[in-house]
Amino acid sequence: MGDRQRGIVLRTGVLLAALTSALVIGHAGSALAHEGEENVPAITDVQEAIAILAEHPGTFPAEEVADHANDKIGDALESEDARGVLLPLVKQAQDAMDADKPDEALTLLERSIGACPGAPVIEPQDAPRRPPALASPCPEVAHILALEGTPVGGSTEAVLLAVGVALILGGLALTRRVR
Amino acid sequence: MSEPTTVEAQPDAGASRWHRMWSAVDERLGLEGLQYPIPEHANKLAYSLGGLTLITFVLMVATGIYLTQYYNPDPTFAHESVRNIITSGSTGKFIRSFHYWGAMAMIVLVGLHLLRVFVSGSFKRPREANWLFGVVLAGITALLFFTGTVMKWDQESLEALEHNIEIGKLLGRFGFWFSPTFGTPLLTRLFVVHIAVLPFLFTIVVAIHLMLVKRLKMAPSPFRKGPEPEPIRPFTKHLAELGALALVLIGILTILAVLAPPPHGPAPIEGLEITKPPWPLLWVYPIEDWVGVAGILWATLAIFLMLFLVPFVDRTPERHPRRRLPMMIAAGVVVVTILGLIVYAAVQPVASHIGMS
Repeated sequence: MGDRQRGIVLRTGVLLAALTSALVIGHAGSALAHEGEENVPAITDVQEAIAILAEHPGTFPAEEVADHANDKIGDALESEDARGVLLPLVKQAQDAMDADKPDEALTLLERSIGACPGAPVIEPQDAPRRPPALASPCPEVAHILALEGTPVGGSTEAVLLAVGVALILGGLALTRRVR
Repeated sequence: MSEPTTVEAQPDAGASRWHRMWSAVDERLGLEGLQYPIPEHANKLAYSLGGLTLITFVLMVATGIYLTQYYNPDPTFAHESVRNIITSGSTGKFIRSFHYWGAMAMIVLVGLHLLRVFVSGSFKRPREANWLFGVVLAGITALLFFTGTVMKWDQESLEALEHNIEIGKLLGRFGFWFSPTFGTPLLTRLFVVHIAVLPFLFTIVVAIHLMLVKRLKMAPSPFRKGPEPEPIRPFTKHLAELGALALVLIGILTILAVLAPPPHGPAPIEGLEITKPPWPLLWVYPIEDWVGVAGILWATLAIFLMLFLVPFVDRTPERHPRRRLPMMIAAGVVVVTILGLIVYAAVQPVASHIGMS
């Protein structure tokens, strides 16, 4: 996996994390109290695991992050509602976590719910009955990332700047003349 | 006003080629009619803000026509099409950037124009109706800005649209247009509103606005001293000055467009609230924090209601701001509050509002 693709996946993870945070708040009763975990859809557990892995490195000790993520992965594997999730990939993610490879686990978790960068987020209630078909590898979708505003650049920039300055000076001179 | 005179075309050997051509055109188009007298104070920058707003609108239409050639208003492709405009070459990048800065300039100019008309009491009898048309134009400008914000279809755009949909729900039956019952996606319908409906309405209302300015003449300046009558200038002189100021404006927009192109956010994901609106819309953000999405609706309605009520509340013939202190203080409080809210919102962390009661 190249650095660029890793970056894409991580950014998608961060966005998913924010969504999942909202879901966690919305379903705080069941998700945070650890009650009736088998009733929580696996897709929710997976999204929460993604959120934990993508959002919290550096915020909390690595062991704590791994424990939380492992809990969620375990919950996903035990969930009675596995709609929309490729459980074999979740299992692979669990193995990756055991091998201390959280980045690989994150990617596997994203793939388990068909979350290639740019893919729409699936709400648990909208999860398909069959797991999503995977596009492998994920398509190149650079356009989904944020693009910082950068100057026009090149010779065009110099020409346009010269035109801009000329227009300002010309306009000011004309204003004085017209008055 | 004197009756228009019919000029018979007479060959004049002494006249220059330019004058002969001008006479020929004028005979057919009556351009001499533009030389009607206006007071000298109309040539000041403060009295050119409305004209500059109109010029900016024309620039927005011109750059917008270019952008529509490459923009795809389908939600699936909109983000990518904007990205292609930016990355495919310097022309698209520059035009989009110019469109962005032009929109900012239009918002600032229309705000300053409203403020100038208010401070100089130019809305007073018999110009109350024209003030109301001006407020409508400010509203259309705000809608053009908002719909333009949605067009770029990044995370910020989607969140703006989701707020819009929530407000539509608050409006009940009146918000039906924002519901998903139509066959065409809301983004596509907003695109039509942005490029056709609102520019059409703007053109119609601005035509009425200008017609009334001509019909009712320029309001006298409240700041003029002395008993002597104010000197008169032809309107064409005002047009010439406006053209010169437009060159300065285009120059500034060009430099901004080159040096400070706007960023383009990530592809939108539904259900997230992780961005803030652009600064002209930022003043409602803290209000949302306090009262939820409904705050956007009520705060916006309150501002426009206040603007509509101005000529009905400030009815004295007095125009000088010093002799209208209560109105000046009230307006000052509103302006400072809005600016304060913008600054406050800028330093506040991002918060989630949709779903707040």
